[in-house]
Amino acid sequence: MTVRLRNDGVIELVGVCGSEDAEALLRHLCARPTSDVDWRGCDGAHTAVVQVLVAAAVRPLGTPANKFLAEMVAPLLERD
Amino acid sequence: MNEFIEQFLIESRELIEQATDDLLTLEGKPDDAERLDNAFRAFHTLKGAAGIVDFDAMARALHAAEDVLASVRAGDEAVTPELISDCLTCLDQVAQWLDAMQADGQPPADADAAAEALVKRFHRTAAPVVAPDARATPDWVEALVAQHRLGEASVALRYAPEPDAFLRGQDPLSLLAAVPNLLALELDESEAWPPLGELDPFRCRLVFLALAACTATEARQAVHPANGHFAIHGIASQDPRAGDLSLTARHLVEAQLQLLGGASQEGLAGRMASAARVAVNVLQYSARGGEVGAVERALARSLEVGSPDGLAEAIRGVLEGVSEVHATTLSDSVMVERAPVEAAARTLRVDVERIDALVILTGELLVAKNALGHASARAQVGMDLAELAAMLKDQHAVLQRLVDELQRSVLNIRVLQMRYVFHRFPRLVREMVVSLGKPAHLVTEGDETEADKVIVESLFEPLLHVLRNALDHGVESPAARAAAGKPAAATITLRARRQNDNVVVEVEDDGAGVDVARVREVAAQRGVASNEALAEMSDAEATDLIFSAGFSTAAEVTNLSGRGIGMDAVRTAIERLGGRATVESRAGEGTTVRFLLPFAVLMSRVLTVEAGGQLFGIPLEAIRETVRVRRSEIKPIGAAQAFVWRNRTVPLIDLEDALGARSMPSTSHEASVVVATAAGQLGGLRVDKLGERLEVMLKPLVGLLTGMPAIAGTTLLGDGRVLLVLDLQELLQ
Repeated sequence: MTVRLRNDGVIELVGVCGSEDAEALLRHLCARPTSDVDWRGCDGAHTAVVQVLVAAAVRPLGTPANKFLAEMVAPLLERD
Repeated sequence: MNEFIEQFLIESRELIEQATDDLLTLEGKPDDAERLDNAFRAFHTLKGAAGIVDFDAMARALHAAEDVLASVRAGDEAVTPELISDCLTCLDQVAQWLDAMQADGQPPADADAAAEALVKRFHRTAAPVVAPDARATPDWVEALVAQHRLGEASVALRYAPEPDAFLRGQDPLSLLAAVPNLLALELDESEAWPPLGELDPFRCRLVFLALAACTATEARQAVHPANGHFAIHGIASQDPRAGDLSLTARHLVEAQLQLLGGASQEGLAGRMASAARVAVNVLQYSARGGEVGAVERALARSLEVGSPDGLAEAIRGVLEGVSEVHATTLSDSVMVERAPVEAAARTLRVDVERIDALVILTGELLVAKNALGHASARAQVGMDLAELAAMLKDQHAVLQRLVDELQRSVLNIRVLQMRYVFHRFPRLVREMVVSLGKPAHLVTEGDETEADKVIVESLFEPLLHVLRNALDHGVESPAARAAAGKPAAATITLRARRQNDNVVVEVEDDGAGVDVARVREVAAQRGVASNEALAEMSDAEATDLIFSAGFSTAAEVTNLSGRGIGMDAVRTAIERLGGRATVESRAGEGTTVRFLLPFAVLMSRVLTVEAGGQLFGIPLEAIRETVRVRRSEIKPIGAAQAFVWRNRTVPLIDLEDALGARSMPSTSHEASVVVATAAGQLGGLRVDKLGERLEVMLKPLVGLLTGMPAIAGTTLLGDGRVLLVLDLQELLQ
């Protein structure tokens, strides 16, 4: 499982998140729309996962481990 | 060659054939959406196949063509003759690569330059799509550039993946991540997102915009595995040409040459390896990855021989590669020049039913063999001779039937449809029409007619020559056609049909017909026939003179016909196949050149004859008559001999002498003579004895026998003797 709900209510993306993780992420976000998402441990995210983040207008916490995510994808999520 | 490549070659050739057909139809009917779709699909599939066998250059060239066809489909571009020519040229190039692959079993290493030239050609055609043209720059590009102010950006791309991209296992972001030197990524958020609860996480709704500092080709390459809609735009004045080395890169490569130039042997291997590595890196950086292999091979060779010369040469090639790319131009006329030497079909596709028939026959043959074993066992224990004879006779009859059937089945497997040779002509006729300025269209009929593989394959050259002649000499100028009340565009019909054991192939034009008076005049001038003989000839006989050796000469060489080969070469080629070539002319209405060919080239009916104690076979189709001639009627003419047959003087060849068989003085006062024709020559062959008629399967001469003059092939006789079948054409000339 690379999408985890921490005890403190933060949704955590860990390792390489595949397309199947999009559904889990969406479920968590639907259940708690105000949750923070922490992707510092994320080594890669499928476009489907990124799409959920975009659709939910989430600004993930921190900088992901993956360079492409950090440099190219993060800016997409930092806008309103 | 591995099976994979083999399959690739077969399928690619079929796709080329299909795409050529579609393109040619499309040229005549630019609105034919179905043909356009077909052609597009063929290019697309070819590109995919190239990707599977890791043939990058081919995929790139086809991709460029596909893009152009896509913009035609989208209505952004019109079908023009130039566009069709470009696509056909691309297919020609691919066909050449396939031939090279056939020979080497792997994609040719030098394909990149040609591919680049093709890509350039298409990009010119597809100017609105990729040119750094300010007027064509859509708003999103301008907005993107304005937003990011990235001076080094050279391409902008917009990528809208298919909605089901995720379900197909695609990850659009990872494709974008592979675009070299990606500078910025944006989302095109023109549509609002649905409430989170209604979002389908497996439908892709994202549309990406990106800026990168690479060439359009590189960007295209990175994203080409994806489905969906792509737009790639060059950004004005900064689009570096793929393949060009930057100044820095050039200095770097030159420095490697100096490194290799040192006289000392010390550390040579290390220096070579490092120089090669730099060259490879430069190539990859400059999007010339296809040339990496050449450098690596040169390194391996240089390391082996301990001399840097080979590697230095290869690295110099890297520096000069650019000029090579620019120098590569693809000529439209390439096809005409190359086509005649095109190789024969290497594989046969056989209907499963035919194979099944063979399997069944094999079973029956096994039964027959067992029955024979039974008979021989009975014979051993002392069976009644009469009974044994009856049994053997029965078995022989069964075997005879089976072997006949087997022979028929095997010959059926060797057949090819005429389509195989016909399909190449629409393309060639199109080129001839352009170069001659005589509008004409080619109609083919009976594509599905079958004949032996060897025959079908050998028809290309003769037919090409006849078609050239029809267009060049047969078809009138447009003005003359108008005066004669004919439609401006001539019709040339290429037709095949089965006629009993023969196949008839015709080329018919609706031109002026053969000018018999002119033929007589030319024949007299060139000494093809004497004035007296000419005077006695009917028009049909005179027309036939166009097939005579020496009738057409280099004096009338045009671009198309008359490259020193005349219609006599056509007749010779057809007769070599065991066929006949004739011409029929209707003044003012047109000319028909007709080939009558045997269905199966391997089966030959022969008459056996004996000469000098040796048995020979003479092909039955060449024999006019067998006669007995009194020795006194054979007259010496110079060193040769002749006799009179049906009021004609016929040269007589003594088969023994001609073939160097040992001669025994004949005591008989009569001689057996076989009167035969070949290549239009009538001749008599003196033999010792006439034998029987046989149907034989001819085997071509192999090994030491290949050089034997005047022998067409061999076959085994029932008693185990070898029968040499004569090649009369060679013998009589």
